[in-house]
Amino acid sequence: MNRLGGPLLELTEATPAFDESSLPPVPFTLRVMAGECVVIECRDMSRATMFADLCSGMVHLNHGTARFMGMNWTELDDRHRNALRGRIGRITRRPIWTDLFGTHVSIMIKQLHHTTVSIEDLTTETLHLSEQFGLPGIPTETPRRLSDADIVRSACVRAFLGQPQMMLIEDPLETSPVDLSQPFFECLTAARDRGAAVVWFVRDSSVWQPYRKAVSALWRLADDGLLTVRRR
Amino acid sequence: MTGSSTGQNGSGDDGNPNPPTSGVLPAGPSADVHGQGAPPETFHRDDDGRPQNLTISDRFVHFLGTLGAMVRKRVWFLLIMLGTSWGVLRESLRSNTWRRTVRYEFQQTLATVAGRGLLSTVVMGALTGVGVVSQAIYWLGFAGMAKMTGSVLVTVIVRELAPILVGILMLGRSGMLSLAEVGMMTTGGQVRSMQAEGLDPFLLLVVPRTLAFTVAGFTLGIMFSLSSLTTGYVISRASGALSNSLLSFYYDVVTAMTSADYLLIPLKFIVVGFLVGLGCCIGGLTASNEDSIATMLPRGFTRGMLIVMTVSVLFSLKL
Repeated sequence: MNRLGGPLLELTEATPAFDESSLPPVPFTLRVMAGECVVIECRDMSRATMFADLCSGMVHLNHGTARFMGMNWTELDDRHRNALRGRIGRITRRPIWTDLFGTHVSIMIKQLHHTTVSIEDLTTETLHLSEQFGLPGIPTETPRRLSDADIVRSACVRAFLGQPQMMLIEDPLETSPVDLSQPFFECLTAARDRGAAVVWFVRDSSVWQPYRKAVSALWRLADDGLLTVRRR
Repeated sequence: MTGSSTGQNGSGDDGNPNPPTSGVLPAGPSADVHGQGAPPETFHRDDDGRPQNLTISDRFVHFLGTLGAMVRKRVWFLLIMLGTSWGVLRESLRSNTWRRTVRYEFQQTLATVAGRGLLSTVVMGALTGVGVVSQAIYWLGFAGMAKMTGSVLVTVIVRELAPILVGILMLGRSGMLSLAEVGMMTTGGQVRSMQAEGLDPFLLLVVPRTLAFTVAGFTLGIMFSLSSLTTGYVISRASGALSNSLLSFYYDVVTAMTSADYLLIPLKFIVVGFLVGLGCCIGGLTASNEDSIATMLPRGFTRGMLIVMTVSVLFSLKL
C-alpha cells in the first residue's frame, strides 16, 4: 500500500445509473486517503448500501470514474475486480449469511477464496477477533441458529478479518442488541493505523459521537448528492 | 480528504409540449404500417423517433429485429446454457479457478449428489432389474431369442433407460435442492453480497456444482447399470429363466457392446449430469426478485426434464 501516493478511494464526478442503483443520478466526488475515517449520514440505509456498492465498483456509471487503490473499476476485468473487492471489508445491512456453510466458513470465506493464508493462521486471527467482539470462540453453527447479537458480532469479525485496505461500514452499532462500541472502535482505530481507509455510514449522528475526535470528515448522502456537514 | 458533490440532476425543462390529438396524427397507409409488427420493448427503444415513411430495406431490418427479439425471448435459457457450458469448461481448466473455496464446494456437492444419492440409485436400479431386466430375459428366452439378451439389455437398460432415470433422480434429489439454494440466495440478496466481497457466484457455486454433478452422473449411471443388471440376473436365475453364471451373463452383455458404446454411454452419463447441474444452478442464479420457491421449482423441474430427455434423444440419434 505504500506504493500508493494518492487516495485509496476516489470518486470523480461519478454519476450512477439510476435504474440500476436507485441512487440519485447526480455526480459524486469523494476522496478518502489511507488512514482516514469518513462518516456519511444517510437516513435510508438501503441507499447507503448502494453507495457502498458504488465505491466497490458494482454500480454502472453514466459519467465519471470510481477508483480504488488508484485503479479504475471500469477498466478492470472481472478477475481483477473481484481480487480488488477482496481487499474491502464490508459490514452491510444486506443479507450476507447463508446456510450453505457453517458460520465459521462464512466468516473466513473471503480470506479462504482470495488468499493463500494457512488455515491455522486464519483461524488464529478469527479467534482473536471473535473474542475481541465478545464471542466465546469461532461460531460453527449455521448462522440461522445464532442469536441476533452473535450475528452482529460475527459480521464485525468477518469485516475486519484479513486486514482490509478499505472498510465500508453500514453502522452495526445502532441495530446491535448488545453494546459493541468498544471493540468496534478499537478495531476501527487499528485498521486505520495499518493504513486502511474507512467509510462509515450512519443513520443517527449519536452513534459516531464517541468517535468524533478521530473522524476525518462528515458528509450527508441526500437526494441531491453528497453534502458537507459542519461538525459541532 | 477532499470531497464535493454537485446537485445537478440533468433534468431539462422540455417546455411541456401539447399532447397530440387524434386529428393531428397522420392518416393513411403509412400510419397503419408503422403500427404493424411493432417490435417488443427490448428492441429499438427509440422507434418512436423514427421516420414513418420507411423504405423497404428499413422494414426488412425492422422485421428481422422483431423476429430476432422473439427468438431470443423464446430461447434465452438455451443461449445462457450454451454460454455457461463453455464458461464452466473454460474455467475448470484454469488452475487459478480451483481455490480452497471452490474445492470445498465441489467436495460438498459431490458428497451430496453422489454419496447420498448412491443408495437411491442402487435401489432404483434394483427395481428396474426386477421390473425390466428379468422380464426381458424371460420373454427373450420364451421367444427363443436368448442370444440377443446382451444386446437388448445394453440397448434398453444401459444406453437408454439408465441415463434418463439417473438424470431424473439427480434432478429431483439434488438438482432441485441446488436450484432452491442458489435461487433463494439470489432473491435474498446473498449473491449480491458475495459479489461485493469479490466472490464470483459463477466461480464459487456454478462451476464446482456443475462439475460435481458431472462426476456424480457418471458414477451413479454406472452404479445404476450394475445394480439393474445384477438384480435382473438374480431374479431370472431364481425363476429359472437363466442358467448361466453371473460372469457369463456379464460377458454376454459386454460382448454385445460396440466400440462406440464404450465411448458414448459414459459420455451420455457425463453430459446428463453436467447439464442437469448447470441447468439447476443457472435456473437459480437467473431468478428474479418476483420469483419464489413456488415459481422456481416447477420451472426448474420442467427445464431439467427437458434437458434429460433432449440429451437422451440426441445421443440416441447419434447411436
